[in-house]
Amino acid sequence: MSTALLVSDLSVAIDNKQILDGFSLEVPFGEIHAIMGPNGSGKSTFCHVLTGKSGYQVRGSASLAGDDLFSLDVDERARLGLLLSFQYPTQVAGVRLREFMMEAAEEKGIDAAEAAARIETESERFGMVPFLDRSVNGDLSGGEKKRSEIFQMAVLRPKVALLDEVDSGLDIDAVKQVSEAVEEMRSPELGVVMITHYSRILRYLSPDRIHVMIDGRIVDRGGSELADELESDGYEGLRKRLGIEKVVDDGPMRKPADFFTDTPFDV
Amino acid sequence: MTAFDAANHANSKSNVPSWRASQMDSALEVFESLDEPTGSEEDWRYVDYDLPFAGLAQIEDPGEPLSDGPFLASLTNNSGHVLIVDGQVLEVNSSSASISTLRDLESDEREFSVVAVDHNKLAAAHGAFANDAVFVDVVSNQVMDAPLVIEVQGVTPGSASFPHISVAVGENAEAQVLVVYRSADGVELLMVPEIDLQVVDGGRLRFMSVQNLDHAATNVVHERMTLGRDATGRLGEVGLGAKLGRLDLGVSLEGDGASSELVGLYFGEGSQTLDYRIVINHSGRNTSSDVFLKGAVEDDAQSVFTGLLRIEKDARRTSTFETNRNLVLSENGKAHSVPNLEILCDDVICGHASSVGPLQDDDLYYLQSRGLSKERSERLLIKGFFQEVIDRLPIEGLEAPVSEEVFRRFVQAQKEGRVA
Repeated sequence: MSTALLVSDLSVAIDNKQILDGFSLEVPFGEIHAIMGPNGSGKSTFCHVLTGKSGYQVRGSASLAGDDLFSLDVDERARLGLLLSFQYPTQVAGVRLREFMMEAAEEKGIDAAEAAARIETESERFGMVPFLDRSVNGDLSGGEKKRSEIFQMAVLRPKVALLDEVDSGLDIDAVKQVSEAVEEMRSPELGVVMITHYSRILRYLSPDRIHVMIDGRIVDRGGSELADELESDGYEGLRKRLGIEKVVDDGPMRKPADFFTDTPFDV
Repeated sequence: MTAFDAANHANSKSNVPSWRASQMDSALEVFESLDEPTGSEEDWRYVDYDLPFAGLAQIEDPGEPLSDGPFLASLTNNSGHVLIVDGQVLEVNSSSASISTLRDLESDEREFSVVAVDHNKLAAAHGAFANDAVFVDVVSNQVMDAPLVIEVQGVTPGSASFPHISVAVGENAEAQVLVVYRSADGVELLMVPEIDLQVVDGGRLRFMSVQNLDHAATNVVHERMTLGRDATGRLGEVGLGAKLGRLDLGVSLEGDGASSELVGLYFGEGSQTLDYRIVINHSGRNTSSDVFLKGAVEDDAQSVFTGLLRIEKDARRTSTFETNRNLVLSENGKAHSVPNLEILCDDVICGHASSVGPLQDDDLYYLQSRGLSKERSERLLIKGFFQEVIDRLPIEGLEAPVSEEVFRRFVQAQKEGRVA
C-alpha cells in the first residue's frame, strides 16, 4: 500500500530548546497509527510542525502522498489533504461553522452542492446541527469541540488526519462515538495518526501500529501488546525496560550572578 | 450665508418662535465666551480638532438634496421620512408618529438643548444657532411597526449646520427611528447634530444611526437618551464616514427597572478619526445596561472610545457591562480604548472588557489549517468580528449594506497591500 505520510529524521527546536529529535514515521494509506507518550514528550509539537505553525526551528523532511510538506504554507498543506484535529480548538468569534466549512470546501475544490450535502449528513451524525450557525467553537464544551473537529474532518475528507488527543476531555460515550467514527472513516484514501497519552481510546479502535514517544524520540514501536504493556506498567515501566533515564531538565546551570541580572526588579 | 457672530445672529433667529429666540440669545453669550476646542482638553484627548467657526457660515437656503445612497435602498419599509439638508427641515412625512418642526411649536413645551452648553463650544453653537428642528411624538400605547427614517445631509461647502432631532416615546409606546448622516462628495463642512431621546415609563425605543459622511466632512453629534421607569432603549451606532466623526452620547437610566443597550461598530480608513465618548448613568434602581462596541482602523486612521459607567449612590441592584474591541489593521492605525467605572453604590454588578490589537495569529492559523488562504482567513475573521455587532443592531434591514461596506473597505485595503 502506498504511503500517506512519511516523516524522516525530524528534529524540532523552539528557542534552541530541542523538542523532537530524529523522529521518523511512516503511515500507509488505509492505516491508523497511534503515537503514545507522556505529557511533554513532544506529541503536539509534532502535529503543529506538520501543520505548519510558525515559531519552530525544523530540520528533516515530511511528505504527504509523496508531496513535500515543509516547503508549503499552512493552507497549502491543508489543501493537499492534511488536517489537524486540534487538542485545543480555537474559538473564532462571529465566524459561523457552516460558512467556515463552505469556504474551506470551496478552497479544496469541493463542489458547493456536495459540500452542503456533506455538512448536512455529518452534522446530523455528530450532533453538530445546533452549532452550524453559531461561532466556530464558541461556547462549546470540551467534548463538543472535539466532536466539531471530527465533524470538520468528515466534511473535508483529508488524506492524512492528525488527531491530537481527540479523546481528552471526552466522557466514555463520546470517546466511543469518536473512535467509531474514526474507524468508519478508515479507507484506502486516508492515513490517520492518533495522538494520545492514554490507552483508553485504543479499546474502541484498533490501530495498525503503535509508536511510543518519550523525550522527543520514538523509543518503541509495536502492535496492541505495546498498549497493553503501557496500560499495566505505565511509561515508567517502559523506561525501565528500555533503559531510558529520566532527565530532569531544570534548564542550564545558573551562576549566582544570573539571579541578580535576571531578577525583575521593576515588577 | 451667515457668519458666526453677534451681528448675524439676528438672521439666524429671524424665523424661530420667540421662546426659542431668547434661548438662542443666551446661548450666544456662552458661545462667544468659549474658546474652540484645541485638543488639549480632557474631553478632546487623542483628537486634533481644527475647524474654527471663523471660516464657516450658516446656510439660509439649503443646497440640493443628495441622490439616494446605499443604506436606505435595502430598507424594505418605513413609517415615515424626514429630510434635513444643511440644518433645515425640507420634508416631513409620517404615517405613524406625529412630527412637528420648530416653527410649529409656539410655546416652550420642552427643553431644547440636551447638553450643558457652558463648557462646550460646539454645544453652545448648537444652542445659539440651531434654528430648525424635528420633534417626533409617539403617544402612549402607540406601536410603530416600521422605522421612521430621518436623513440628515450636509451639501454646501464651508457650511456649519445644526440638525436637531427630538424623539419622545410615550407610556408603553414602541418606537423605531433610523437616522442616516451623509454629505456631498469632497465637500468640507461641519455638522453639529443634537439628538434628544426621551422614553417615559414603559416605553420602548429602538434608535439607530448610520454616520456615512464624506471623508472631507466633520460631524460632532451630541446625543442623549433618558429612560423612565421600566423603559427600554436600544441604540445602534454605525460610524463609517467623516474626517472626524464624533459621538458624544449620554444615556440616563432614571426610572426603576429601566434598561438600555448600545451596540455599535466603526471602521476607519485613510486619515479618519472616529471618536466615541459615552457616559451611561444609572440613577434608578434595578436598572441594567450593556455597551458593546467594536471597531477597526486601517491606514492612518484612529479611533477613540471612552466609556464611563456611572452608578449613583441610590441605584441599587444595577447591572451593567461595557465591551470595546478594536482591530488595528495597519502600522499607523491607532485605537484608544478607555473604559471607566464610577460606582457609588455597593449593591451592583458591573464590569468592562476592552482590547486593542491585530487579528489573532491563533485564529488565522486555525482557519488556514482547514485550507483557507491567509487573505481569505483574514476576510472571514473581519466579517466575523463585526457580525456579532451586526446581529444585534436594533433596526432590521440594514445588516447587509453595513456588512458589505465594512467588508468592501477591508478587501480593498487587502488588495492594495495596506493591511499589515
